[in-house]
Amino acid sequence: MTVDNQHLGPRSGIGLSIDADVALAAGGDQSAFERLYHTHVGRIHSLTRRMLGGHEADEVTQDIFVRTWQKLGQFRGESAFGTWLHRLAVNVVIERRRSYAIQRERMADDPAVLETVPVAPARADLTVDFEAAIEQLPPGAREIFVLHDVEGYKHREIAVMLNIATGTSKRQLHRARMLMRQHLNG
Amino acid sequence: MHEEWTDKLSDYLDDELSPEERYAVESHLLGCAACTEVLNDLKRVVARAQSLDVRPPQADLWAGIRRRTEAIRQPRRVTVTVWQAIAASVMIALLSGAVVWQALGRPTGLRYNGPAPADVAQGSSPASDRAERKDVVVPVSYADAQYDAAVADLQKTLNDNRKRLDKTTVAIVEHNLQLIDQAIEQARQALEADPANDYLSSHLVEARRRKLDLLRRATELAEAN
Repeated sequence: MTVDNQHLGPRSGIGLSIDADVALAAGGDQSAFERLYHTHVGRIHSLTRRMLGGHEADEVTQDIFVRTWQKLGQFRGESAFGTWLHRLAVNVVIERRRSYAIQRERMADDPAVLETVPVAPARADLTVDFEAAIEQLPPGAREIFVLHDVEGYKHREIAVMLNIATGTSKRQLHRARMLMRQHLNG
Repeated sequence: MHEEWTDKLSDYLDDELSPEERYAVESHLLGCAACTEVLNDLKRVVARAQSLDVRPPQADLWAGIRRRTEAIRQPRRVTVTVWQAIAASVMIALLSGAVVWQALGRPTGLRYNGPAPADVAQGSSPASDRAERKDVVVPVSYADAQYDAAVADLQKTLNDNRKRLDKTTVAIVEHNLQLIDQAIEQARQALEADPANDYLSSHLVEARRRKLDLLRRATELAEAN
């Protein structure tokens, strides 16, 4: 299954056959929904893994697709399906974090965050190391780093999603980048 | 490393600085190797983040998703554009006004079941009146307990679930209900003046059916969300 033509998030393109599958799935066609799942699961799972950590990614990814199935009737085609799905996924992830009642604390501008330094690369696979380093970022900085630098959202969009000030988003992003810099130079 | 400058480097990289701030940062970078090195490192971080591959889950999650989605009734797609809703509202309003006007004001073409004013004035016989009234339509009853109960029940369900509908939908539904209620009231008043008018009766029945139908649809939509 290729994922090259996925249209998830601000950086993605548009696929024609997906529209047909969306229409079929909205009418209750499980096979069409399965095709949508296989097309989009890589991007959604990567998002949840990077934002929540590997131990929760499978469960939350399933939750996201179940929620998608429930809400397909509300998709009106005003944006690409992938963009709509991606926003829904981000919302589910944010809800999950809020349910842990830690969102506020983690988004606070705590200077101690800078004390948290990700481990230096221990393996030859630099991509895996980089992924591992993202997971070790402080949660507030991690979400913003993933949403901004990996997924391509703007600070003003992130501020709305996370219900924080734009300035907070910028500061947390800089902290995350500085920590990742230490990792790269580790 | 100069923190007062490095703190601005991410905003510089993302083009989030004012022209003046940008100029100041660039001027500093020209003479500061340490900050230039930090900037280059930040560029590497961003480039690496943007080049991360999509990785599917190690296990196929579809079986679990399928189990859960099979147990969920697929919400029916209800697609009504705002323009369609507005057009429907206008049609209801126009039809309502036109029908009542036509029924009350039209001199001919409408079956007339009552005595003509001239006949009354000339004292026409009861026998001839009965002969003319053999096709009298029984006026519709306003006091339909079943209908009222159904409307009340749907209205309550809709009120209970209205938070599930977006504001635009709620506004459209309420506006349409208001128009239909106006149509019902106009028909009711017209029928009070002309109780045997089958044209008005059928209009009243149709307006009441429309109200029930709209409430049903809105309730279905709210419950599906």
